This record gives sequence, structure tokens and C-alpha cells, in this order.
Amino acid sequence: MKSNTADKEIRQFVAESAESHVAPDGKAHLVISLKTTASIVNSKGAPAKEVEIAALKQGIIPCRYLRNIGTVGLDGQIKLLQSTVAVAGAGGLGSTVIELLARQGIGHLIIIDNDCFAEENLNRQIMSTEENFGQYKVIAAAKRVKQVNSATTVTTFQERLTRDNGQSLLSGARVVVDGLDNLSSRMVVEQICRQLAIPYVYASIGGFNGQIMTIFPEDVGLSSLYGSSSDMMPEQGIETRIGNPPATVAMIAALQVQEAVKIIAGVGTPIRNKIVMVDARECTIDRIELGK
Amino acid sequence: MALITVRFYSLWRSYLGTDNTTLQVDDVQDALAQLEREFGPRLREKLETAGVHLDGKIQDYSLILLNGIALRNIKSNALKEGDVLHVFPPAIGG
Repeated sequence: MKSNTADKEIRQFVAESAESHVAPDGKAHLVISLKTTASIVNSKGAPAKEVEIAALKQGIIPCRYLRNIGTVGLDGQIKLLQSTVAVAGAGGLGSTVIELLARQGIGHLIIIDNDCFAEENLNRQIMSTEENFGQYKVIAAAKRVKQVNSATTVTTFQERLTRDNGQSLLSGARVVVDGLDNLSSRMVVEQICRQLAIPYVYASIGGFNGQIMTIFPEDVGLSSLYGSSSDMMPEQGIETRIGNPPATVAMIAALQVQEAVKIIAGVGTPIRNKIVMVDARECTIDRIELGK
Repeated sequence: MALITVRFYSLWRSYLGTDNTTLQVDDVQDALAQLEREFGPRLREKLETAGVHLDGKIQDYSLILLNGIALRNIKSNALKEGDVLHVFPPAIGG
């Protein structure tokens, strides 16, 4: 555990290193650059996120978050840096979610996936490349997060999330985001999130369409959509016939990240007790209020 | 008899060319039968044209909610004036 003296030293160092920055609206802000943050990390041995939090608490904005603050505020950015988000599945939705959460400045990510990249992932899974076929998705995801934001720490689990291991994998998360591709795993995650009292940001896609809903422990959930009996649930969706195009993945993943950010930063209204259906083909968004 | 609204979403809306219809029905079974009679052949024709073959009736390959609750969870066959059926394809990918 860090001593108060060390904390004070970091705060002082950050304050002394702050520079003035004039935003496009003409307003001046005190900021700290990535280079200066790295220098404090190296000299004081403090994690980058602690340096960034120390800066934000003094009203000094890490340059990398300058364009975040207008929506989440200084306190919101601090909460994001202090939070853990778990992403269940690092494929289509999951990999875009991970990229955006890192850029947003989430402090810690738990990434769970037992799969490796294959050629058919290239159309939509942003961490798949022509060079990394066969590589575990969680390894590529952790590497990417490190490249994007050194303040975001990552724990990876190269395994399938199940009823048996779910509580241990998701424990400590402030929000769980859905990056899964099948209904049975989603049902497991929903159940575990209810047990752990963690909000779960469900989403799925098919063709030009996607749907999203945030499920708090006391909310209605997937059974309102798919039914309560597992033997009556659809095995496959329309996506097995009409595919998962990249833009639909990016569109819905972006909404998922926005849900996580809203919950953590305490801004806006999460999509609770309703399903939002986005149709990119006709450019429509519908909400269906769900009942129990 | 009850006058109910059926709302279509997602690909079904595109393929049927409408986002809603009203039906005068006796009960859930009657509503599903009318839905199939009025929209089933057109929907399957559109799907076939797109290279997608689905067997059965609309209710077999769609998610259907009654007033925001999965029809699969509702035991009663009764419908009342103003009820809403939401009909759309399951999208489970990620």
C-alpha cells in the first residue's frame, strides 16, 4: 500500500508538471501530457492510473482525456479510472468494446474468452489481423489495450465463462459487458450478474440489426425476450443466415460502451427494462418496454 | 373479439414493408393464425429471395412478445382490446 507521503509527492509532482492548454472554445485548462505522466510513473514507481487520478483530483486533465471531460466531467473520469469493467467474450462486439473502454480510460479490464482468431473473424473483430490467426483473442486484446492506454490494466482469462467459474471471473467488476455470441452463455452471465449485483449490458446483432438492454439485478431481463424455459429458446439467430457485418458490430458495441460509461460516471439514463432495437438498414431505433 | 396491434421490427419490417397492422382476434391462437395467413407467405418469399430458407410459421422462427413479455412465458390464451404483439427475428450474434 502506498504511503500518504508518496501520494502527496505524486500530487505535488503532477501539480508542478501541469501545463496550460487552450481548448478550441478558447477556455484554458491545466493539463498533463502522456510524456510527463510516463516520467512520473518511471521516477516515482506509481501506476499510470494513480498519476492520472492524482492529476484529475487537482483539476489537471491528462491530455488524453481532454475530449472526454465535457461529457463525463472530472469526477466522472476519476470514477472511470477507478473502475473495473468485465468484458465477456473478445470477438466482434467484445473487441470493439475493449478498444473503446481503453480509450475512455477505464482503470481495469477483465477480459474473458477461450477462442482463437480465425480468418472469418477479420471482417468485424477489430483485434484480428492477417498476422494473428490462431492467437488467443485475450492475448491480442491485452496487447492492444497496452498500446492504446497504459493506464488501463488488464486481467485476462483464457477460458469459457460458466456457471462454475463465473462468480470468480466477474467478481469485482462494476459493470459486465456482453461480447458473447450465443444465448446460453448470456443466460449464465445474466444469472451471475444478478447474484453479484452487477449491471449487465446485454447486446446481440444479426445483419443490419442490433439490440441492446442494460440489466440491473432488480430489472427484467433476457427471459422477457426469449422465454424462461431453456428448451424453448432459439438455438440460432438470423445472423447465421444473414451474417454479422462490421458496421453493425461497431454501432452496437459503441452503444454498449456508452451504457457502461453512463453507469460508472453517473450521467444519462441506462436502457433499463426495455430493449432498444437498432435497424441500420432502415435507419430506425425502436424501444420496447419489457414486462415481467 | 379484441382489436390488437401487431408491430414488426428489424428485418421483418423491411421484408413486409410495414411496421404495424391491426387484427380483430378471438385469442392468441387466432392472432397467430391470422398473422401467418396475412404475412407468412410474403415473409417467406422475401426470405427465399434473399437466400434464406426457414421452415414453419412466423411464430416458429420469430420472437413474439405480448405487451413486452415473451409469448413463451404467457400461459393464458386470452387477449384484450389494445394488446400489442411485437414480432421480430432473433438476433443472437456478437
